[in-house]
Amino acid sequence: MLKRPALLWLLAPYALFLGALPLVDRVRPTVLGLPFLFFWMLVATLLTPVGVFLAWRGDRKRGRA
Amino acid sequence: MSANAATASTIFGVFMVLTVALGLLAVRGRGGAGGIAEWSVGGRSLGTVFIWVLMAGESYTSFSYLGAAGWGYNYGAPVLYVIAYMSCGYAIGYLVGPTLWSYARRHGLVSITDMVAHRYGRPWLGALVAILATVCLLPYIQLQITGMGVVVSTISYGAISLNWAYFIAFAVTTAFVVVSGLRGSAWVSVLKDVLVIGTLGFLAIYVPVHYFDGYGPFLHRLVAEKPQWLTFTGHGGSGLNGTWFVTTSFLNSLTVVIFPTTVAGYLGARSADALRRNAILLPCYNVLLFVPMLLGMAAVFVIPGLTGAGSNLALFKLVVDSLPAWAVGLTGVAAALSSIVPMAVFMLVIGTMWGRSVLGAVPALAERPQRQRLAGQVVVVVSGTLALLMTYTAPNTLVRLSLISYEGMAQLVPMILLGLVWRKLTLWGALSGLAVGGALVCALVFTENDPVHGVNAGALALGVNVVVALAVSWLGPKPADDRPDEEVLAGDPVPSEAV
Repeated sequence: MLKRPALLWLLAPYALFLGALPLVDRVRPTVLGLPFLFFWMLVATLLTPVGVFLAWRGDRKRGRA
Repeated sequence: MSANAATASTIFGVFMVLTVALGLLAVRGRGGAGGIAEWSVGGRSLGTVFIWVLMAGESYTSFSYLGAAGWGYNYGAPVLYVIAYMSCGYAIGYLVGPTLWSYARRHGLVSITDMVAHRYGRPWLGALVAILATVCLLPYIQLQITGMGVVVSTISYGAISLNWAYFIAFAVTTAFVVVSGLRGSAWVSVLKDVLVIGTLGFLAIYVPVHYFDGYGPFLHRLVAEKPQWLTFTGHGGSGLNGTWFVTTSFLNSLTVVIFPTTVAGYLGARSADALRRNAILLPCYNVLLFVPMLLGMAAVFVIPGLTGAGSNLALFKLVVDSLPAWAVGLTGVAAALSSIVPMAVFMLVIGTMWGRSVLGAVPALAERPQRQRLAGQVVVVVSGTLALLMTYTAPNTLVRLSLISYEGMAQLVPMILLGLVWRKLTLWGALSGLAVGGALVCALVFTENDPVHGVNAGALALGVNVVVALAVSWLGPKPADDRPDEEVLAGDPVPSEAV
């Protein structure tokens, strides 16, 4: 694990969905009409693949090095 | 039969025939050969795209149409746990998938029961886990049969009775899985994905426009009139608060990576890198889950007053209410395929576990992949029939069992995940943890103490499970096992080597 620090990106969804919950559990402000909690969950859903991609890119770089 | 019913039923029938035909086509030329590994893990030859559609197909079940909309309708925000745990689970699947894949490939294993038997050097442990896992999976098959039955009956405008619809669900799926196996399930998943994305994409735009003059007014009304739906604890005094959301999502994200059906998907992959790419793509699919949730909440305005099981039909009532018959038929096909694909993989996994880990112990079947496959296929028919019979005779028994399925399956996490990377976890430690955790889940669920002060009962039991497993491993007997670590443990294959 220490040899592959990029794997820490895999914890991003845990931080976004679970860690941040106390801060985002609210209706307002609405963003694009979406209640804030649902907006946040949508953002987290869209960022999850990005997090996994960053872990993958980290592995790729190590592979080439 | 009215004209509407005839149109919708015909579309449905045509697609069911097409489904079984696709299953046959998928295995053409490969069907007979390859034994149990071809049938249960597709000969370990599926590429990134097939693994993606297959695994998306497994997790996107009829629950997504019925339950997600129903929960959205009844409670609101708590339904978000589905998206949370799937996203987290898919992310750690980046690490777990290749680990299990390479372990299974190196030692010629086809299921999690095979893996524990190999890890702890005890074939009977594989048989035990297979039986436990079957008890946890059968309720899911029954839920899929029930779900598909309800959908079929609704979209045929009642022309197909519930009992016939249950039978159709069972017959199509069993026939399909016996002839085709995992490869066929991946093919049908493609058809399913096209229909699911098409229908949900359409409904996501159509429903707000049709009923509310667009998204702006719909969301505005939602925020203004139904704020209880939009934050935790949700609507209706469910007790599903933020603590419940966090513990449940966390627990399920661990469980989903070792869920026997997920593992079947992993093992079908051609390479470890196919699984890593898949872990990037798979979470994208979760965006689609917002649609039934929002539609469920839209139904609160359009058809208020659904209660109990009726709320599960929230989405379909909207569809039947607002769309022409052919579109109703297509939506029904998408939902039915959302039952068939996961149900097929569930049955396939049960057949594989039994063919290999339980019946494989029978001398006539040992070391004979062809016969194990046949035995597995027989088990598929038997388990499907059992689930169908229970749907008719004891519909509530299995629903009650399904309450403990996921939380019960979670108790296998230490035995499998911890055991595969940490040699010091002993057989007796893993077993004691499983026994204590399993007993605690049953006790809490059946005394209706789930959640316990907001904490998911399975998560609590998992904590106790780990403590017991560690304590017994440390203090208890240490079975002699002189195999080297490389033989027993699993590791994530180094990416640069695996590419």
